[in-house]
Amino acid sequence: MITQTLRQHAEQQFADELEQLEKSDTRQRPTHWALSPWAVATYLMGGTLANGFEVSAKYIGNRRLIETAIATLATDRGLLLFGVPGTAKSWVSEHLAAAISGDSTLLVQGTAGTSEEQLRYGWNYAELLAKGPSPAALVASPIMRAMTTGKIARVEELTRIPADVQDTLITLLSEKTLPIPELGIETQALRGFNIIATANNRDKGINELSSALKRRFNTVVLPVPSSEDDEVAIVSKRVNELGRALQLPGEPPALKEVRRVVRIFRELRNGQTEDGKTRLKVSSATLSTAEAISVLNSGLALAGHFGDGVLRAADIAASLTGAIVKDPIQDAIVWSEYQETVIKERSDWKDLYRACKEQP
Amino acid sequence: MSERFTGHLFGIRHHGPGCARSLLHALEALQPDCLLVEGPPEGEAMLALLDDAALQPPVALLVYDPDDPQQAIFYPFAEFSPEWNALRFARSRRIPTRFIDLPVAHKLALARAIADDPSNDDPLDPSPEVVDGVTDTRQSADLADDPLDWLGRAAGYSDGEAWWNHLVEERADGLDLFAAIGEAMSALRADAPCRQRADRQRREQLREAYMRKCLRQAEKEGYTRIAVVCGAWHVPALTAMPSAKADHALLKGLPKGKVTATWVPWSYHHLSFASGYGAGVTSPGWYAHLWQCPPERRAIGWLARAAQLLRNEGLDCSSAHLIEGVRLAETLASLREIPQPGLDELGEALRSVVCMGDEAPMRLIEQQLSIGDRLGQTPESAPAVPLQRDLQHWQKSLRLPPETVQKLLDLDLRQATDLDRSHLLHRLSLLGIAWGKHQRQGRNAKGSFHELWQLQWDPALAIEVINASRWGNTVAEAACAKVVDRAGTSAALPELAELMQQVLFADLQPAIPAVTRALENLAAVVSDVGQLLTTIPPLANVSRYGNVRQTDVGMVDHLLDCLLPRAAIGLAGACSAVDDEAASALREAISATHQALRLLARPALREPWWAALHGVARFGSGHGLLCGLAARLLLDEQQADIEQTGRRMSQALSTANDPALAAAWLEGFLDRSGLVLLHDQPLWAMVDHWLSSLTEAHFVRILPLLRRSFAAFSPPERRQLGERAQHLVRSTPTASPVDWHIARAEKAIPLLRQLLGLPAPEGEEKR
Repeated sequence: MITQTLRQHAEQQFADELEQLEKSDTRQRPTHWALSPWAVATYLMGGTLANGFEVSAKYIGNRRLIETAIATLATDRGLLLFGVPGTAKSWVSEHLAAAISGDSTLLVQGTAGTSEEQLRYGWNYAELLAKGPSPAALVASPIMRAMTTGKIARVEELTRIPADVQDTLITLLSEKTLPIPELGIETQALRGFNIIATANNRDKGINELSSALKRRFNTVVLPVPSSEDDEVAIVSKRVNELGRALQLPGEPPALKEVRRVVRIFRELRNGQTEDGKTRLKVSSATLSTAEAISVLNSGLALAGHFGDGVLRAADIAASLTGAIVKDPIQDAIVWSEYQETVIKERSDWKDLYRACKEQP
Repeated sequence: MSERFTGHLFGIRHHGPGCARSLLHALEALQPDCLLVEGPPEGEAMLALLDDAALQPPVALLVYDPDDPQQAIFYPFAEFSPEWNALRFARSRRIPTRFIDLPVAHKLALARAIADDPSNDDPLDPSPEVVDGVTDTRQSADLADDPLDWLGRAAGYSDGEAWWNHLVEERADGLDLFAAIGEAMSALRADAPCRQRADRQRREQLREAYMRKCLRQAEKEGYTRIAVVCGAWHVPALTAMPSAKADHALLKGLPKGKVTATWVPWSYHHLSFASGYGAGVTSPGWYAHLWQCPPERRAIGWLARAAQLLRNEGLDCSSAHLIEGVRLAETLASLREIPQPGLDELGEALRSVVCMGDEAPMRLIEQQLSIGDRLGQTPESAPAVPLQRDLQHWQKSLRLPPETVQKLLDLDLRQATDLDRSHLLHRLSLLGIAWGKHQRQGRNAKGSFHELWQLQWDPALAIEVINASRWGNTVAEAACAKVVDRAGTSAALPELAELMQQVLFADLQPAIPAVTRALENLAAVVSDVGQLLTTIPPLANVSRYGNVRQTDVGMVDHLLDCLLPRAAIGLAGACSAVDDEAASALREAISATHQALRLLARPALREPWWAALHGVARFGSGHGLLCGLAARLLLDEQQADIEQTGRRMSQALSTANDPALAAAWLEGFLDRSGLVLLHDQPLWAMVDHWLSSLTEAHFVRILPLLRRSFAAFSPPERRQLGERAQHLVRSTPTASPVDWHIARAEKAIPLLRQLLGLPAPEGEEKR
């Protein structure tokens, strides 16, 4: 389907999958849920329905995690998706909201400038000045709208929001009401309302959640992909899609190069070689799957614009160093130890070793 | 002509609490007059000890060959094991009880026959300590095709373990359970292709034939309500009995050995899969909880225990957390369509609600709760353990009787007996059996082949021996196991290096790879270069000279190969931003490592080291002392020429620099070696040249620094330096070659070559 929008919402892009799921879903649904918890899990993890319809996998990884996340939303506790950048937190949150409420747009993006009005409600000042405080002058936040409709609201990057503003959520989550003292009324949440927040645990300069707020969330940590094959699959799929979207010249990268980058990332992230024989120092960079994707993409751009269009070791060496060495002292040691003890020893990685050595 | 067994068969899963509970109910209802249990017939005599209150599970019935204690089989029991409960049930009612498994005497003899068979080259089997005596429903070694996994997968579970847990262990009691298990197993055995190796298969057949033989015997003796407790897998084989004759024929002429049985303490850790126990369970602690806790309070009880544990460790866990945890676990269970939350659901709830998704506290829970650290006890009246016998054997053959008087033992390691004694004593001290105390050999010892031990046997050491017996059945084996364990838990490099040395002393070849690996792993993550550096010299010593004990030091070389480049890469960083104290510690470490490298004479290792020294020698990059030292070492090794070094020197000692820094540089450069300055002509010339090129003002400023550096030399050295400086102007002394009598000198060379063990006459570089 060709549309003018650059990026569609999950519930638009996968509308037919959601429809099929709803049709074949016979299990019990919590109030205001579009699908049963089981069907939500199937939507995220993929599977074949009773009528033979194939649901694509949105999340490649541990089913149990997703089940825990869905079970949390079915209770009245908020869900906090936690993890290093690039582990599909927002992606999962968007799809959860789309599957449960059929609406992934009730979104508050957390920034250092997020204010209480964005979490609760604001005022239409023209209206307010003209007619005084009234429900008509009220501008509801996405969270307030989710409360009144019994839907899932999303808060992205919760830890970027200043601590005092974060705490607004405490009453929301424990009392499930939003008092509006100016009008002397309150908004009570309908069943089905819940909040999915995402936060990343590697960022610097974040506002730690207060323990009162922490206690109101169940935390699910989304890990980096557990097996190399999974990660290679994710990376090559995304690199191909993105390459097409960005109209990069050059062929899609050979599986060999993808595997090599993924392996380097995994080994430096896990602190040991993939065969488990050698321990390694861990880089301070997050080295997420998303970064592996961007390393390959910039390599692809290099190869396309300045090379012969085929991705080679020299093309990725430059962006590898950039991705791995975030701290100029510690990470440089980690990276050069890795080159000397691992890359050098692998007989079919000689080209990469030379390419890395040629880097300034 | 097949017959049917008239007694009652109870197919159980070893260490299954659900099975145990159902079994007790069934036994209560049946009131058997004879109990047959799958276990070693040789252990029947040990059943009397069940009355002793000091016998506290987990314990294991150990049956071993007294002549070769490594040949042994353990039959572990926990308080929730069905067999244990059946045995206690029978014991308290004085019901005759028998073990009906194939006697260990045969098993060991069979295993030995297979091991001796040259056509069998599978190295995995039969390793002496494989504890698979209790053949379990999971056919231990063949986990990949565990028949339970098929059933589990057919029912939509991820593996057989989870399936069995939900269906049997975590369920409320059901008396039909055993009939159902028997049926399931019959179906499995009929359909499952047998993928076991031929010898294993034969052993299974023998075991079942023997069990049937015992069953017939009991019937013949006129018992009417026979209860048989055995692994579920065997139930079909015991239900339909082939003819007695066929079984007799099968069992005829089996090889047989001598065995002894005893009780030994066991631990939950040893019961778990993690310890390598084939018939183990994943989480003994969880099973104990299932056994102790009534089903309706299971989830809450478990979370409450977890909360207790977390609070003791200083982690927040409130009652509200627990309430939310139970709710989440129950929602999860209903999402997965199972009646009660199991260990997985509770674990996920804990991780999500209490631990904020963090893995570390979960690992604590897994270690302390799911597996548990409970240790069993055996009464003193239980017979001696094999380790003790092995020790006695060594004491006898090495003529080292245990005596309670103190005695000094001087071992000459060139003698085979003394070497063996030394190995034994080192192994014992590794095991924590403090019989001998190693006296660090003083300078007066006549060489590295002497070793002094102070011996004194304390009767209380017998307890240490029993304690150590859980590590293995012979001294060597136990010491290896303990070393491997220590290597796994140790977190400090020097400690591991020390351990490595002890292992070499004790000649524990099998443990060397494990210690090396641990060292290697730790070296990879350790960021303290000083620690790395201090590890290198002792290893280099071992590598260069070996030791008098003829141990293989190839592993040490490998270690050095991976330690040194790491140390070299981190060196420059480690030398910057250090205070004086740390710098002088590093100076020792760098000098020692440098010496060690020269000793090793391996060019591949030198290159990175020199590169690292160049990095340190660049002035301004690190502490002055270390800069100077590096410059000096490079000069000595001719890796930096006089000109370069001179430049470094004048740079370091320029007026612009902080005097303290410059002084430190000079101190490091001269390296406390006045004599070298005195005799090394180029060095002298360089210092001299630099000194005389100073302007007067600069000289006056730098004088205190010089005094400070030179003050470290001994008075005679200073005097000689002064004298030399006085005469320097005239004489460009004195490297004028001595007047050799070449012919005479050459005569000594062949003998020298012989002494040094040098082969061909190419020794041009020999001094």
